[in-house]
Amino acid sequence: MKRVVAAATLLLLAALAAYPVFGTGYGVRSMQQIFMWIALAGSWNLISGLTGYVSFGHVAFFGAGAYAGAILVAGAGWPWPLAALAGGAAATVLAVVIGYPCLRLKGPYFAIAMLGLNEVLRALVSYFEGLTGGGNGLSLPTLDASVPIYYVMGVLAVAVTAMAWLIVTSRFGLRLMTIREDEVAAEAMGIDTFHHKLAALLLSAVGPGVAGALMARDQGYIEPVSVFPLAITVTMIVMALFGGKGTVFGPVLGAVVLFVAQEIVWASYPYFHPLLFGAIIVAVVLLMPRGVLGLLQQRYRLPRTI
Amino acid sequence: MSVVVTPAMLAQVIVSGILAGSLYALVALGLGLIFGVMRVINIAHGPLLMLGAYTTYFLTTRLNMNPFLTVPVAMAALFVVGVLLQRGLVDRVVDAPELSSLLLTFGISIALVNLAQLAFTSDLRAVEYITGAWVLGGLAFSKPRVIAFVFAAGVTALSFLLLKFTRLGKAIRATSQSREVAMVCGVDVGRIHMLTFGLGAALAAAGGALLAVIVAIQPEMGGVWTFKSFLVIVLGGAGNYPGALVGGLLLGLVEQLASLFLTTQLSEVVAYVLLVLVLLVRPSGLLGGRQT
Repeated sequence: MKRVVAAATLLLLAALAAYPVFGTGYGVRSMQQIFMWIALAGSWNLISGLTGYVSFGHVAFFGAGAYAGAILVAGAGWPWPLAALAGGAAATVLAVVIGYPCLRLKGPYFAIAMLGLNEVLRALVSYFEGLTGGGNGLSLPTLDASVPIYYVMGVLAVAVTAMAWLIVTSRFGLRLMTIREDEVAAEAMGIDTFHHKLAALLLSAVGPGVAGALMARDQGYIEPVSVFPLAITVTMIVMALFGGKGTVFGPVLGAVVLFVAQEIVWASYPYFHPLLFGAIIVAVVLLMPRGVLGLLQQRYRLPRTI
Repeated sequence: MSVVVTPAMLAQVIVSGILAGSLYALVALGLGLIFGVMRVINIAHGPLLMLGAYTTYFLTTRLNMNPFLTVPVAMAALFVVGVLLQRGLVDRVVDAPELSSLLLTFGISIALVNLAQLAFTSDLRAVEYITGAWVLGGLAFSKPRVIAFVFAAGVTALSFLLLKFTRLGKAIRATSQSREVAMVCGVDVGRIHMLTFGLGAALAAAGGALLAVIVAIQPEMGGVWTFKSFLVIVLGGAGNYPGALVGGLLLGLVEQLASLFLTTQLSEVVAYVLLVLVLLVRPSGLLGGRQT
């Protein structure tokens, strides 16, 4: 069984690696989007799915990465792969600034602080016009890098998923899940809850930061409205919840299914689509709190570590 | 950039801060009641405020009502909405981990904002009723804000009288202190949860109705109010209802004071920095709240 799974995984990765050779431009762009959503939903899952601390502002890390990357490419002439790493670093720094005051406390403080973070970053970006171009946005030098970005985004999606697997199967992951189930008990067992939560937040900020910088390079132009929309946070939450929060492959499943559904079905009803996402969140929380993968795990006794 | 602050400017800041702060206190009291009684942070609080503002808009433009007389109507309408939301959805996650209630009310909030966008479009709307300002001793008192202040103070005072002196208020306070003991004393906790959620929604609606004459109305106007209401609760101390008054006035004053030195663009940032500072220095609130 294990061999079959390993062979199938390798085959899938090989097919994805070969795809840009014969795929259309639209196809490559769509796959790259799916990779991005896998990385975003998987990253949200690391903090919210594993520790139970809900982040309502993960797009802030995405936007911070996008601006850091774009400023380094456009202003300092950095090559984009390096700028993407810097985007991840910028998001991590932001995570420390927010996590340090808000995660020391139990309760909803972190969730609400993340809810406001988005607006704050948008205001700051508009205010520091000299650096960010303000409301006019920031243009990057033209460069067609969609195929290399496809590969880097793919590696990012694999890296985030692999990280989730490593965490879930480690003692560190067990401690995070203990915090989720009962923080007071976790503390009583000697777990340094603050530093564990902070570490989970930092790990969950890197992926969105890198993805944001890659997106900025790919689009060639960013503005506050395009990199800090609430819709990105909503989408990653919906994907992770639908697939199964706290699982390794739930966000992957959610990202693929909902992205395809969005492209095929809902593209014809653009106005109903955000409403639908709100409704899916409500429905999943009430009816299927473990998500699709959680349900399958329960019914078919699949291992906990998928 | 150097700014010379004269005593007159400071007095004006205090006036504007108190006028703005009364609305913060009113709206935050609603969020605080729900949190105190159910341990649920209602992320949809801001969107409920938005629905209150639209209620006033339609009553004034379609039925020619005086906008300030629509306040009780908007409160009653949103009380019903709040009761239905609590009965249908929120009640199922009251005892679940915090993550569930946060995500659920977040989903409700997204749905409400987008429903409003479909039903009312994203066009900015305004209720034109009264403009200008009274000038007294060199200080400007914006007319709509002064009237809104009077109404906000009135509704807040009534809420405190309700909490302090009625059986219902006593039951609400008892439930928020200890649900088990309240239950043992014969309080119908399920009913209290429902009524408190309705009351919280009604207070948000009152804020929205009063804001309708002051700011532009659009589906996303509520978003920042969930955040600011929570900040007010943190400032005053969670679980400490009079704390909402202090917190609201403080937030109004700080924001107005900051506007002397910074552009209004950064007013969101000021509120945010305030939240982070309080969480770092005095997480139980300035007045000291109940530890949870």
